[in-house]
Amino acid sequence: MKRAAAYPPGIERFDPLDQVLCYDDFNDGQAGWLDLRPNFVLPEFREHSREIDLTHWGPTMISSATFPFMGTHGAMSGTYSLKLSTRPTGDRHENPPAPGSMGLAIKRLATHRPLNHIQMEAWFTYTPEQDRFGIGDADVRAFGFFFDLQDAEHRWMPGIRYLNSANGELRKRWQYFRAADVTDAEWNYGHEGWHRRGVDSQWFGRRYADGSGDGFVWVPDGDHKLVFNESADKINWMYLRLLVDVPNRKYVEFQAMDRTFDLRGNAPTLAPVYESITGLINPVFFVETDTDRRVFLFVDSVVISVD
Amino acid sequence: MRNFYTSVVEFRQPFTREVFTHPYETGWAREAIFFVTVEDCDCETIDLSVQIGPDGIRWMNEGNGIEQIAAPGEYFVRVAHFGGWLRLAGVISGGAETAQLTVRLALKE
Repeated sequence: MKRAAAYPPGIERFDPLDQVLCYDDFNDGQAGWLDLRPNFVLPEFREHSREIDLTHWGPTMISSATFPFMGTHGAMSGTYSLKLSTRPTGDRHENPPAPGSMGLAIKRLATHRPLNHIQMEAWFTYTPEQDRFGIGDADVRAFGFFFDLQDAEHRWMPGIRYLNSANGELRKRWQYFRAADVTDAEWNYGHEGWHRRGVDSQWFGRRYADGSGDGFVWVPDGDHKLVFNESADKINWMYLRLLVDVPNRKYVEFQAMDRTFDLRGNAPTLAPVYESITGLINPVFFVETDTDRRVFLFVDSVVISVD
Repeated sequence: MRNFYTSVVEFRQPFTREVFTHPYETGWAREAIFFVTVEDCDCETIDLSVQIGPDGIRWMNEGNGIEQIAAPGEYFVRVAHFGGWLRLAGVISGGAETAQLTVRLALKE
C-alpha cells in the first residue's frame, strides 16, 4: 500500500516515533479514553478488588474549560480537551487514596508488532475548581501518566507522577513508578489481594506525609516548577513525554515543558503475568486532590507512538 | 454521524437528605438523558431536579425532573438546550433520608 503524506493538523507540535498508534485531540469525542473502573465480575456485579474503594473516582469528560470569570478558555487546539476530575474528597497523603479523590482516564490497546520503544506525548494543564477564592495551587496533590503493559513474562507499569503538593505543602517534584521492597500484602494495605507488588502504583503501596510512597521513587534532580498561572482560571498548556524501552523493560527518559529527565538504567517493577492480557497496552492519565476540592487535569491532545 | 457518550456520573453513590451529582460538561451535546437507578433507599420519596449553569459552580433549576420516586428501580429524564453544564439536585425525604443512586448521563451531539 502507498502511504499518503498528509499529516493531521496539530501533529507538528509532537515528536512521535516511527509509527503513530493514536493521535487524539478531543475535538471529535473521547476517542476511547474512558473512566478507569474495576472489574465488576462478582455476584450482583460487585467489584473484584475492595482493598480500597475503586468505584467512586471522578468522571472523565469533554471540556470547554469554562470558568466563572474568564468564560471559555477552550483548548490549545480547538474548543475541547479531555478533562479528568476528582470529587471533593481528599485525605491526608499518608492514608490510602480516599474514595473519589482521584480521576483516571484509560485507553485500551494491544501489541500489533514487536516493539523497540513506546512513547506518550501530551499537551496538558491542571487546575482546581474555582469554587473559592485564592490561588489554589496547593489543593492539587498530583497528576501523572503510566503505561500498563504485559508481555509473555511480566506485567509492568512504567509511569511518572508530579507530586505538586502533600498535606497542603507545595512540593513540585517528579517521581517515577517503582515499587519498594515490600510484600504483596504490604503493597495491598495489609491484604492478600488481586494487586501484586508493582501493579497500580497510582493506588497501592503505603504512602507517607512528605508525598513519597512505596510505589514511587523520586526522580534525581526532579524538582520542577511547572506553570501555574496565578489563578484557578488561567491555564497554560504544557508538553509531557515519556519514552520506554520495551524489550529491556526499562525507562529511557521523560520530558516536561523544556526539561528532559534521564531515567536510563532505571526499571519499573516486574510483576507476574495476569491471565489473558498478554500484549495489553493501556495508557492511563490520573489526577489527585489534596483536600475537599475538585481538581482537574486537562489533556488537549495526546500521541502514542512506537518504533 | 453524531457524537455520543454515556458517563456513569455517580456509581452506587450513597446520599443523605440531599443529592447533588458531579458537575458534568455538556457543551458539545444537544440532547441528554439522565438515567437514574435507585439501587437502595431508606426514605419515603426522592425528588430530583435537572440543573443547568454557566460555569459548573452556579446552578439553577432547568424545569425538568423526576418527582416522588418511592421505590428502587429505573427512572429517567430527558433534557435539551442546556448549555455547558448539567447536574441533578434532589431531596430525600422520610425514613432515614438515605438512598444509593447510580446516575448515567447519555449525551448526543
